[in-house]
Amino acid sequence: MVPPATSLFDWCQWLQNTRLATTINESIWLFPLIEGSHILALPISVGMIVMFDLRLLGFATGSKVTNEFLRWSRFGFAVMLITGVFLFITQAGKAYGNPFFRTKLLFLLVLAINAAVYQLIFYPKTAQWDLAGKTPAGARFCAGLSLIIWIGVIVCGRTMAYEF
Amino acid sequence: MLTLFRWCSTWAPIVFIRDSRFGMPAVQSVHLTGLTVFLATMVILDLRLAGFGNRESSLSGLARQLKPWRTGGVTLVILSGLLIFLATPDKYLGSHPFQSKMALLCCAILFHFVVLRRFIASEPVSRPRRINVMVACLSLTLWFSVGWAGRAIAFIP
Repeated sequence: MVPPATSLFDWCQWLQNTRLATTINESIWLFPLIEGSHILALPISVGMIVMFDLRLLGFATGSKVTNEFLRWSRFGFAVMLITGVFLFITQAGKAYGNPFFRTKLLFLLVLAINAAVYQLIFYPKTAQWDLAGKTPAGARFCAGLSLIIWIGVIVCGRTMAYEF
Repeated sequence: MLTLFRWCSTWAPIVFIRDSRFGMPAVQSVHLTGLTVFLATMVILDLRLAGFGNRESSLSGLARQLKPWRTGGVTLVILSGLLIFLATPDKYLGSHPFQSKMALLCCAILFHFVVLRRFIASEPVSRPRRINVMVACLSLTLWFSVGWAGRAIAFIP
């Protein structure tokens, strides 16, 4: 099966009608399982990031512990990404024009850039400011932005399902 | 009780949430955001109890640091959950997954206050590791079961 090379919307429609998509949609337990995993991976992905952001902002007092648990979020993100891709495949045609889905993708792009900025500029010098409690203003800005936009992602993700 | 719930469901703010275009998604989003924060703190605590993460800082200290976010998160979850329930009480009372969710929630709360609270008040090294791991697993299983039962409301009558 080759996708038609016409438009992004046609490609989404094609994706929604693939064997994989219809199998998931028609199964009584596959879709609930994938959707449930997507939502219940929130605390081990976004939740860990939120706790880390709160710590950078100085709202959860400093200890290295939250740093360590940020590593666990990688597992959460793997679950999020895989289940998210499957959910998209099953409803690609409907998701395409959904304003909340589009906003969610835009938010995720902003978060990726934000995380890259933090990793490149502030992360290498963590040891200089972290335990001294002198978080640079720029790092705090990244944390605040991340906190707000991640909540936005949750809101868009939840709301998009009401618009189908 | 049912009369009270039904009366609440005709209360103006509840009607507004139920009938406005973005009322339900907004309250549901608060429910999920609260859940994200609350369960994140529980995962951090339980993993630390099971022996993962930095052992330099004390478990009781960590629990104290996380407490405002744990209670804040769970408050958001309960308040938004109450609003969701009161919007359509008949739908939820007749739902088997909802009944299971409430039963599991009671078990999780009971387990938290009777067992887990004692385990995070003292250092894990004072006990055999398998007991700590068992308590941490039970705690996480209970809380995540509440979440799964909640998700099942949308799929099972």
